Amino acid sequence: MKRNLFLIGISFICLAMIGEVGIAQAQSTEPIKIGFMGNLSAPSSISAKAAAMMAVDEMNQAGGILGRQIKLIVEDTKGEIPKCVEIYKKLVMVDRVLAVFIGEKVEMGVAGMEIGAELYPEYPHIFFSTIGSGDDIWHHVRDNYKKYKFGFQTYYFISTNYLKILSELNSEVFKKLIKAKKVAIVYEDMEWTKPLRKGLKDVSPRLAEVYKKNGLEVVYETTVSLDQKMFSSVFEEIAASGAGVVDCTVGYIDEAAFIKQWSQSSARNIPVSLWGGLAGMPPAWKMTEGKVVGVMIGSSMVKVPITKKTIPFMDNLMAKYKVGPIFGSHTTYDSLYGFKKAIEKAGGIGNIEALIKQLEQVEEVAVLGTIGWEPRYHYNLPYPKYITPIVQWQKGEMKVIFPLQFKQADYIPPDDLRR
Amino acid sequence: MSSTLQSILVYTFIWGSIYLLISLGFSLICGVLRIFHLGYGVIFVIAAYGTWMFMEDVGLGFIPSVLLMLLVQIGIAVVVFYRGVFQRYLEEEEILLTLSVLISIALMHLANYLYPVTAGVSIPSTIIDAMLKIGAVRISYQMLLAAFVGIVVTFVFVLMFLKTRIGLIVRAISQNLEAATLMGANVTKMYYLAIILSVIPPTICMLMIAPFWGVDPFMGSPLLMTAMLIAILGGLGNLKGSIVASYMIGFIHATVSFLYVSRFMGLAALIITLIVLMIKRGGLFAGETLW
Repeated sequence: MKRNLFLIGISFICLAMIGEVGIAQAQSTEPIKIGFMGNLSAPSSISAKAAAMMAVDEMNQAGGILGRQIKLIVEDTKGEIPKCVEIYKKLVMVDRVLAVFIGEKVEMGVAGMEIGAELYPEYPHIFFSTIGSGDDIWHHVRDNYKKYKFGFQTYYFISTNYLKILSELNSEVFKKLIKAKKVAIVYEDMEWTKPLRKGLKDVSPRLAEVYKKNGLEVVYETTVSLDQKMFSSVFEEIAASGAGVVDCTVGYIDEAAFIKQWSQSSARNIPVSLWGGLAGMPPAWKMTEGKVVGVMIGSSMVKVPITKKTIPFMDNLMAKYKVGPIFGSHTTYDSLYGFKKAIEKAGGIGNIEALIKQLEQVEEVAVLGTIGWEPRYHYNLPYPKYITPIVQWQKGEMKVIFPLQFKQADYIPPDDLRR
Repeated sequence: MSSTLQSILVYTFIWGSIYLLISLGFSLICGVLRIFHLGYGVIFVIAAYGTWMFMEDVGLGFIPSVLLMLLVQIGIAVVVFYRGVFQRYLEEEEILLTLSVLISIALMHLANYLYPVTAGVSIPSTIIDAMLKIGAVRISYQMLLAAFVGIVVTFVFVLMFLKTRIGLIVRAISQNLEAATLMGANVTKMYYLAIILSVIPPTICMLMIAPFWGVDPFMGSPLLMTAMLIAILGGLGNLKGSIVASYMIGFIHATVSFLYVSRFMGLAALIITLIVLMIKRGGLFAGETLW
């Protein structure tokens, strides 16, 4: 009897083990779930969503990640922080996604990161912020790595890099291409421009000081507000200052009004360089009735083959998903491919800590260069790894004028272009 | 005269006249119907997106598009706002205000859905793309034109209210509704007229400022705020007050912009309006009459 019981017991354990193996196999063939959330009324989030769908579709067609298909779960935050938190919880706790991508302004990313940090010990996952600008996301990682190590930021707007990298490049563009000696700086009144206005302690002096160090004289500085509609006084003062170029650290002001008023001001022949925003999108020409001619801006929406992926990405997004690439779509698409490579290098998704380590080391060919994340701070590798070309509006088109290896046209002064 | 002072004077005139055009319709509704038209901002949106729709989707020219847009504009003002909201809830102010805002937000979202920012909406109403020098100040012809149109439209409205029989009736209604009704004034007819007239200045305004103003589906909200600020400062529904308040706000904006920094011009105008209201309750002019 005892022997029989022993045999029954052994058989039961064996059966259970076979069952476990079966379950484990079933789990390993289940799709990898990824959540995407954004304000699906905002063009940037709509474009980022399409880019995420395109990346997932491409990966699934190519056999998925380590043989597993990917399932993308899309959610709409409607631009509301409470909704963002609620959706984040749902994605992580109910849908059990491996990663959450937030393709929206940085406030949403920060809200997501905070709730993600609370959930992480029980529900290990990865978080990507692919549109939010500023330093908030990576500062969380820098200041408390243990708590926020699951968070990664893929976006160009990192003030530290602005002060250390972009300002140096701008100095080069202003001096060598535009032949300007005097600069007027216009800041927008937002958190991300604060380091530019005031400098970063122990990192960099303020932007004006960086320009001065590079041999440019800053003759005028002002800050404009986001709700401002009238800029005439700013341009009249710039014209009176004798500036040779207007450097605008803006991305969220009413750029259409800003540009229209510049083109009808005493400063209309002084070249304007914008750091980002609406003027770097193809509709800017129509929106301003061509008044954007001569304006320079950092834009990733120009068709220049930075890598073999750039042109197909732009064409396919438009052709198959009926959405134009806007800021945030490239970064979302590239982040997904970087994430895929990290999973492959980690040998799967079973160990999130190992996956984080791989994300800190991974480098993958991207639409805008090479995607990867800085190991300590988790922001994406900056220029020259990840490139945002400086373009100039010429005859209805954006033409790359910098970096020189991607140059499509020479810089032309605005008054010459208007002729 | 220093160039800064010249700039302040010129831009007070330019901005003041444009603000007048922005606020005229709002003051008219306030004066005649005695209500706060919180859906006023959407008139600017319909002006821009309606014109664009007829031009881009229907393929009409600029003038026919503007005329058709004006018909749509009047239709929405009369059917949706007046008959749908104001007439029904004139005595229930909280419902009237809430519905006006909701309709306005819904229409702005519709515009955003149909023509998101990637559609590149604009109004090709630039007439002269050049600069004029007045003393030490250079000013765009387009801004100057918008300012002159603002003055002309205001002049026509004031003339109508002061010199015509219809104007007299409208003024009578604005001063004392019951007495005007007893004297045989057709109040309903005059309300319809006021509603139709109220869409004309913001529509013209949008066409005039489009060459130097950003066009987006939610531009109605800041324009409504400007109109409200002027109406409150001038005395609710008093056109005389609106004229003075427009130039006063223009002066504050120009002074702060040229003497200090442009980003504080809105805040400065708010603070001064608050001070004026604390000193003179009800605004600069009595709000009991249209003129």
